[in-house]
Amino acid sequence: MFDDFVVSSFLVTWLAASVRLAGPLLLTALGEIFAERSGVLNVGIEGTILIGALAAYLVTYQSGTPWTGFAAAILAGILANLLLAWMYVTVRANQVVVGIVFNILALGAASYGYRLALGSASNPELIPMIGSVTIPYLSSIPLVGPILFSHSILLYVTIAAVLAGEFVLFRTRFGLNVRAVGENPHAAANAGISVSRIRYAGVLLSGAGAGAAGGYLVLAQIGLFRDTIVVGQGFIALAIVIFGRWRPIYAAFAALAFGAADALQLSLQLFSFDLPPQLLLSLPYVLTIVAVSGLIGRAAQPAALMEPYRPN
Amino acid sequence: MWNMFERRLAPTESPWAIAAMTFGSVVLAFLIGAVLFLPFVSNPIDAYVSLFEASLGSMRGLGITLNRAAPLIVIALGTCVAWRAGFGYLGFEGCLTIGAAASAWFALLALDGGLAFIPSILFFAVAICISFGAGGAWAGGVGLFRSRFGGNEVLISLMTNYVAAFIVQYLVSGPMRAPGSLPQTPRLPTETWLPGIIPETRAHAGILIALAATGLVWLLMSRMRLGYELIVTGLNPFAARYGGINVGRRYVLAAFLAGGLGALAGLIEVLGTQHRLLDGLSGGIGFIGIVVALLAKLNPLAVVPTAVLYAALSVGADAVQRSTGAPSSIIFILQSLIVLFVMASDFLRYWTIRLPFKSPGSESGKV
Repeated sequence: MFDDFVVSSFLVTWLAASVRLAGPLLLTALGEIFAERSGVLNVGIEGTILIGALAAYLVTYQSGTPWTGFAAAILAGILANLLLAWMYVTVRANQVVVGIVFNILALGAASYGYRLALGSASNPELIPMIGSVTIPYLSSIPLVGPILFSHSILLYVTIAAVLAGEFVLFRTRFGLNVRAVGENPHAAANAGISVSRIRYAGVLLSGAGAGAAGGYLVLAQIGLFRDTIVVGQGFIALAIVIFGRWRPIYAAFAALAFGAADALQLSLQLFSFDLPPQLLLSLPYVLTIVAVSGLIGRAAQPAALMEPYRPN
Repeated sequence: MWNMFERRLAPTESPWAIAAMTFGSVVLAFLIGAVLFLPFVSNPIDAYVSLFEASLGSMRGLGITLNRAAPLIVIALGTCVAWRAGFGYLGFEGCLTIGAAASAWFALLALDGGLAFIPSILFFAVAICISFGAGGAWAGGVGLFRSRFGGNEVLISLMTNYVAAFIVQYLVSGPMRAPGSLPQTPRLPTETWLPGIIPETRAHAGILIALAATGLVWLLMSRMRLGYELIVTGLNPFAARYGGINVGRRYVLAAFLAGGLGALAGLIEVLGTQHRLLDGLSGGIGFIGIVVALLAKLNPLAVVPTAVLYAALSVGADAVQRSTGAPSSIIFILQSLIVLFVMASDFLRYWTIRLPFKSPGSESGKV
C-alpha cells in the first residue's frame, strides 16, 4: 500500500515536472520548425530566447501586467530575427556562423540592456507572473489530472500553438509554400513563390517562438531576469526539431522526452538512486545523434536546409 | 529604399575594396561601441586607450592576452582544416572538453607516481599526443557518420558538445572527484603545468604550442598534397571524387585533425591556466574560435593576429570594467558586431550604392 503511494506520487511529480520543463523548449522548437522547413537553420534562437526574456522582464517591470510583457517578448523576438533574416536571406551569409555570432551579440546586448535599464547595484526584483490554471473536473482525475491539467496558462497556449502550427504547415497554402521552398527553392521560385519572402516569414516565426519562450521562462517559471537563465535551451530546441522529424506534433513528444529526462534526473537525485544523472541527461542527445546520423534510414531534413538561395 | 542599391554584373574581387570594407566594418563597430560606452564613461576614446593599454600595453597584460589567445588559435586552426575541407564541424566545445579530460587524466597519472620518472619534455609530448588522439577520435566519429551513413555533420557535432560536457560532468563528480565540496579533480602536480615563458608574467607555453600548430597547419594546407586534396574536397566533392580522391576518407581525416586541434585547446586550458579539470571549462571558447577563424577568412596565418586581437579585446574589457564600471558586455557586442558587419559587407560585393546625385541614365551601361 505504502509502496503504491510512493510510486504514484513519484510518477505524478516526475511527469508533471516533465510537462512543465517541456513548455518553453516546445515553443522554441515550434518556431524553429518553420525556419528549417523553409531552408534556414536558425541557430540564433538561443540568443533570441534571452532577448525575449529581457523584454518580458523589463516591460512587465514597468507596466505591471505580465501579458503585456509576454506580447513584448514576442515582438522583441520578431525584431531581433529581422536582423537574422536579413543576414540569412538577403546577404546570404553562412547560416550557422550568423547564428553563433548572433548568440554572442544577444548575450552582450541583453546584459548591457539590463544594466542600462536597472543599474547593477540592486538585487533583481520579482515581477508579477502569469498564473496557472486548474481546469475544473479534469484536474481532479487521479494521476492524469495533476500531470496534465494544472499548469501555467502559457502551457495551454503552447499546445494550442502546436496544433495550429501543424495545421498551417500541412493544411494551408502558406505551409505548402514553406515546405516547397525548403525542399527545392528553384522549383518553388519557378512556380511563382517568392523564396525570400517565405524564408523571411519562416525566420520571423522562429523569432516569435523563441521570443515567446523567453517570456515563458521569465513569466511562468522564474519571475526575474539574469543573463544566465538561458543555458542551451535554444540548442536543445534544435535537437527537438530533429528528433521530432520537423513536425510540430512529433516535436511535442520530443520536447516531452527531453523534459522527462531532465526531470527524471532531478527526481532520482531526491530518491538517491545510484545512477549517474549525466547518463540520463545525455540520453536525449545520443538519441538525437542517432536520428541525424543516417543510421536508421535517411533523416527527413528539408533538402535545402542551410543552403542560401541564389536565383539562377 | 531598395532603389538605392544596384546589382553589380559580377561580385567585385578587388582586394582594395575588400580591405576597405573590412576596415569600415571594424570602424563602424568601434563607433557603436563608443556610443554604448557613453552612459558609463565621459570619454569613450579614453576607455579604448585604457582597454588596449591593459591588454597589450604592459608585459603583464600581454601575458594574460597570450594565454587567452592560445586556445582560440588552435580551435580556429581546427576550423580552418575542417571547414576548408567542406566539413562544417561545430563540435569544438566538446573536443576542448574531451582534450581537457584526457590531459588531466594523464597528469593525475603522473601524480600517483606511475610516471614520476619521465622527464617533463617527454611528459608534455605524450600529453599532447594523448589529448590530440582523444579529441581526434571524438570528432573523427562524426566524420565517419557523415562519410559512411550520410549524416549531417553540423547537427551531429552540435549535439556531441552536450554529450562531451556530460561525460566530464560525470568524471568530475564521480571517478575523478577530489575530496571537497566542489565537483572538480585534485590540483595537478606543478611539474605537469605548462612552464612560464616570459618572466614576471603569467604567459605560459600554451602560446608556443599554438604557434607550432599554426606552422604545421599552414604547411599542411598550402605545401602538402594532402592539404590540397582536403581543399579540393571542400571546393567540389564531386570533382574531387572524379579526380580520384576518396572524399569520405578526407572528411574523416579533416574531422580527426580538427578534433585533435580542438582538444589541444583543452590541454592548454587545463595544464596552462586551470591546473585541474572542472565542469563548464570551455565557456564558449569552442564557438568563439570558429568566429575567429572566419574573421581570418580560414587562413591559418591570419588566425594568430586575429585571435590575439580578439583576446586582447576580452582581456581589456575586464580591465575597463574594473576601473570604470562600464560593463564588459560592451566588448562582446563590439566583437560580434565586427563579425556581422564583415559578413554583411559581403553584400556590397554584389550590390553598389546608387548615389542620388548621379543620374540613373549614366549608370545604365553597368546594369
